[in-house]
Amino acid sequence: MNRGVVYYILGRFLQSVMVLWIIVTLLFLLFRLAPSNPLASYIDTTFTKQQEAAILARFGLDKPLGEQYIIYLFNLLKLDLGETFSYSGKSVMDILRADLPNTIYLTLSSLLLAYFVGVLGGIAMAALRGSLLERVGTTFTLMTRAAPQFWVGMLLLTFFAFQLKLLPSSGIGPAIVRYRWETEWDKLMSPVFWRHMILPTFTLALYLHGLPLLLMRSNMLEVLDQDYVTMSRLAGYSEWRVMIQTAARNAMLPVLTALTLGIGYSIGGNVVIEHVFSWPGLGRTLVRAVQQADYPLAQGAFFFIALIIVFMNFIADILYSLLDPRVGASAQAQVS
Amino acid sequence: MSRKLARISVIAALLALVMVAVVPVSSQSAGEMVPSIIVHSVTQAERPIEYETTRLVVENMRELGLEVEHRAIPWAQLIDEIWYSRVEGQGRAERPFQMTHWRMVGRPERSDPDEFTYNLFHSSVRDGGYNFVGYNNPEYDALAEAQRVEVADKEARLDLICEAQQVIRNDMVNAYFIHPLTPQVVNTAVFNPDSIVSQAGIGVHNFWTWIGIEPTTDDKTLITSTTSFLNSFNPLEIAGDAPSRVTEMTWDRLMRINPIGVAEPWAAESVVWEDPLNVVVTLRAGMTWHDGEAVQSDDAAYSFEAALAGTTQTDEDGKEEFRPEAPDYHPFARNVANIEIIDDLSLRFTLHTPSAAFETSSLAKLNLIPKHVWEPIINDLLERDDADADSIQEEIPIGSGPFKYVAFDVNEFVLLEAFDDHWARPKIDTWLMNVLPNQEATLGQIQAGEMNFLWEWPGDPGVLQDIVAENEHLDLFSAISIGFNYFAFNVRYAPFDDVSFRQAIAHAIPQQFIIDNIFNGLAAPADSFVSAALEYWRQCDDLPTYDYSIEGARALLESAGYSWDDDGRLLYP
Amino acid sequence: MQQDAMAREGQSGKATARFRQGSAIRQLWETNLEVFQRDKMALFGLFIFAIFAIVAILAPQIAPNDPLNPLKNNDGDWIKDAMPYWLAEPGEDEAEGYTNTFLLGTTNIGRDIFSQLIHGSRSALLVGFSAAAAVAVIGTVIGLLAGYYGGWIDTILMRAADVAFGIPFIPFIIVISAFFDPSIWNVVIAMAVLLWRDTGRVIRSQVLVIKEQAFVSAARVSGASDLRIIFVYIAPSILPLSFLYGSFAIAWAILTEASVSFLGFSDPETISWGYMLQDAFNSLALSREAFYWIVPPGLCIMLTVMAGFFIGRGYEEVLFPRLRRM
Repeated sequence: MNRGVVYYILGRFLQSVMVLWIIVTLLFLLFRLAPSNPLASYIDTTFTKQQEAAILARFGLDKPLGEQYIIYLFNLLKLDLGETFSYSGKSVMDILRADLPNTIYLTLSSLLLAYFVGVLGGIAMAALRGSLLERVGTTFTLMTRAAPQFWVGMLLLTFFAFQLKLLPSSGIGPAIVRYRWETEWDKLMSPVFWRHMILPTFTLALYLHGLPLLLMRSNMLEVLDQDYVTMSRLAGYSEWRVMIQTAARNAMLPVLTALTLGIGYSIGGNVVIEHVFSWPGLGRTLVRAVQQADYPLAQGAFFFIALIIVFMNFIADILYSLLDPRVGASAQAQVS
Repeated sequence: MSRKLARISVIAALLALVMVAVVPVSSQSAGEMVPSIIVHSVTQAERPIEYETTRLVVENMRELGLEVEHRAIPWAQLIDEIWYSRVEGQGRAERPFQMTHWRMVGRPERSDPDEFTYNLFHSSVRDGGYNFVGYNNPEYDALAEAQRVEVADKEARLDLICEAQQVIRNDMVNAYFIHPLTPQVVNTAVFNPDSIVSQAGIGVHNFWTWIGIEPTTDDKTLITSTTSFLNSFNPLEIAGDAPSRVTEMTWDRLMRINPIGVAEPWAAESVVWEDPLNVVVTLRAGMTWHDGEAVQSDDAAYSFEAALAGTTQTDEDGKEEFRPEAPDYHPFARNVANIEIIDDLSLRFTLHTPSAAFETSSLAKLNLIPKHVWEPIINDLLERDDADADSIQEEIPIGSGPFKYVAFDVNEFVLLEAFDDHWARPKIDTWLMNVLPNQEATLGQIQAGEMNFLWEWPGDPGVLQDIVAENEHLDLFSAISIGFNYFAFNVRYAPFDDVSFRQAIAHAIPQQFIIDNIFNGLAAPADSFVSAALEYWRQCDDLPTYDYSIEGARALLESAGYSWDDDGRLLYP
Repeated sequence: MQQDAMAREGQSGKATARFRQGSAIRQLWETNLEVFQRDKMALFGLFIFAIFAIVAILAPQIAPNDPLNPLKNNDGDWIKDAMPYWLAEPGEDEAEGYTNTFLLGTTNIGRDIFSQLIHGSRSALLVGFSAAAAVAVIGTVIGLLAGYYGGWIDTILMRAADVAFGIPFIPFIIVISAFFDPSIWNVVIAMAVLLWRDTGRVIRSQVLVIKEQAFVSAARVSGASDLRIIFVYIAPSILPLSFLYGSFAIAWAILTEASVSFLGFSDPETISWGYMLQDAFNSLALSREAFYWIVPPGLCIMLTVMAGFFIGRGYEEVLFPRLRRM
């Protein structure tokens, strides 16, 4: 790596940190607008003024705003997101630590499936360009992008879970099995877990496959026009070989970047799917926390999702500049 | 960045404008238009039944010439706008609440009418307690206090309770409309239906069922679920319905409320009143904690001492205030003046004042906790300012109840197993409660046999009836609850400070229509805070009735001096 | 959507050929005309919007019943869970004391599903078009300013875009919706606050190219003010791009509103398709297999969203001719 690239990465990194800091500040301000106070989680017959004060003190809400902000920032640096209102004796981190792996499994499995199908589909669409099949295929893909994910989830649920009773309808597994999972590894080794993952993964992948497919298709069409592809054709290589070996390899790069970005955005967008399938992840926790007025938890979940997005954006930027030789570091900095 | 901030402040400013635009409740004057009224309820998404009921009543109120806004907000926010917004200037809501849909749930300790009689209406609990409607009637206070100390003569107490119900019904402090018939579904292919106990006012999901239910197959696991939160496993915290189910199984109590609603000795072998202030309790011999230690009288004494523990602090105004370490249980132990240990198994409680409800709401309410576990924790808490027993989560909770802890994953599940050394060992081996906020999932699981005991159903009761009709292995149980749904009026402010106005609103509640159409028949009409499930305490003369009639309501308003302007809007007398 | 933008950004340079000197306004008109002449799908999208717009405007006339008030039978009870008349068993309605004329049946409370569907088109189009307008206008202005002026204005605006890209969209809307009283405008505000980022970035890079063109230099030499150059010379050339993003934003807004309503953060007194699905989901329409309740709102969402996609793609194919079907 040359020095320019290192400087570029460093600069990008610092920028990401700045962006994160601004987001965190906005988050802090946003949550001061919250409609209910933390006492709402405590209905009690015997509350005295002092007890109310004690609870406010416990959550640091009695201090001036500026001081609260400083404390908040320092705690964030230690990844200390505070105590939840509604889960007795648990910190926000305890809850999120349990949620994060589930969200990641769901996101990764659906993205991998979506990109595998999408890339192959994109190549096929490019190969079939102009045919009726391509029109049908592209229209179907557009439909999957246009259908609300939760609705597709509902239909799949009705069909596979309620009518055919083939697949479980919600959660990550019955508790009677789950309590034996002491580590994440136990969970991943359990067929029960994977069975529960099928429907949500499939629903998500159905939505997600559209982007790589359309992207791959247009990149392929573009690459197929290039001289070196024409050269390979003239050299007598089979159409299949031209497609896969020459064109697809070059068309893949932007798709990879999109995948990196996709990880970040899917984690933020999974909320609805996690709700439909009662999947115990970050999104479901966020929705529940907001409904319960558990603001530290909502804020924490929001922060976590933002952190992942900013990080993935950073990685995507780097990938973009490294993988795409046409865009030098300086040019890249100018374009975005 | 600057733009974003600006935009957020614009949103905030807009919001502030909206708030200012809402005119605060002003005092009334003759002939003035009754100002617009806000009626609260939870959201349609959260509890459709409550939302639809409120919507219906709001429509009817409009026919009385009122301008009414139905404000549906999430439960957490509702608490803020009702519970913490009782009087002007309190809380963050821009004005005190006016009228809201509310509900009280049935709990075993509510089998004695004392809790509702006293806590819902006594003027002393107006500012922070359950009397959030702000009822203030010295006559009623006297009744509520008298029934509490009327220990000796049960019939005299009944008269007092009846009179209290009359007063509240006349004054229309709360407009009761139904006691839910809590629908519960049990898979009778795996459980013997005759072994299921229905507890008065609670239903089949009760302690007696948990220990008595007989599995008919080799799989001796009871699997149930909750749609609400399962956020604590703590004998010193009352966290909600689902956690209460779990604590009452894991921790024994000196007495328990039996299926007909009366406290009977449980971990105590005997409970003997020496006089109205002194009671001697003798424990059963041979009981052990889940960790193997013996249960002794000093544990029982400590269970009450822990609830009484706290520190006294002085606030800025020099006023001394007591801060209990177990604020949830403190009210139930407060009446205890002294505890004397007689021997290993017996102890004597001395009370401050005689209390008719002491057995029900104290001896049958407080969980027995092991002194060797909790003393160090409570002592540590007494040193600290920033925490109380609510925030404690034991690694492995230790009780002496018929079930013991196996696993607990916050808001996911609780798994308990039968405690073999218990003198009343349950017939099932394992008890599991899942958190399933998704009702579709709940239905799917009970039909598929993944769950075999459905005890909580916030959704459309008609669905359960359909499911049971379609599935031979499922049986529907329902019992009138001690709990009730009602509309609460903030009687501190106009127009709800006027009895006639409140009575008119009561006439505008289509009770039978709600039961038939919203509850699908799974509700009983309510006219009091004492449920028909508590038969003894309902042996009263008939309470006043408020038949559904918009004309009746209008006539009542008219005779109270209200009139209508040309646009049909209601005017104050 | 965000990803689409990133992907498209790389190709933005290739659209330059289209932006040349000439009557900018006429150019704009021609481009728009070309989009709908060339691309039958885009025209179809426009057609779908037109149909739904008519339905929305005439909703009270078309809907046979009130969408919010439960229907009552002769006894005054609610007509709950009625099947569509073409599915219901004949005679059942008379036995229950009503005449079944419900095209899509009634909900578990007795609301007419078809009427709800008709009224739902109002919130969908209202949210879709106002959010799209907000996103396109804000994004275009920011893109123009950042691209034209460069320097610190550019830096600030583009860092703001970075921040907007870092804020998770759906969670943001959930929080906004929960903090303010439920209203469909929450979605519009949240979209306006966040989604200008895609449009802004792409338009900025386009402006960077255009401002070096001869006709812009000529204008500058002839003494035109900055604002005049931006809005009279440059803006018309990049407006098709704004339309492109606007069309996608319509789709995105309708989907988002549906998701937020589905999660239960919408105003129950404003019928929307997402709200209908939320109601169906919470009222256990799935296990009752009430397809007549679940399917239509989803189809309507899908149709309107696809209309937005079709139009957006129409612009895309004209602006980025390389993507054209070969």
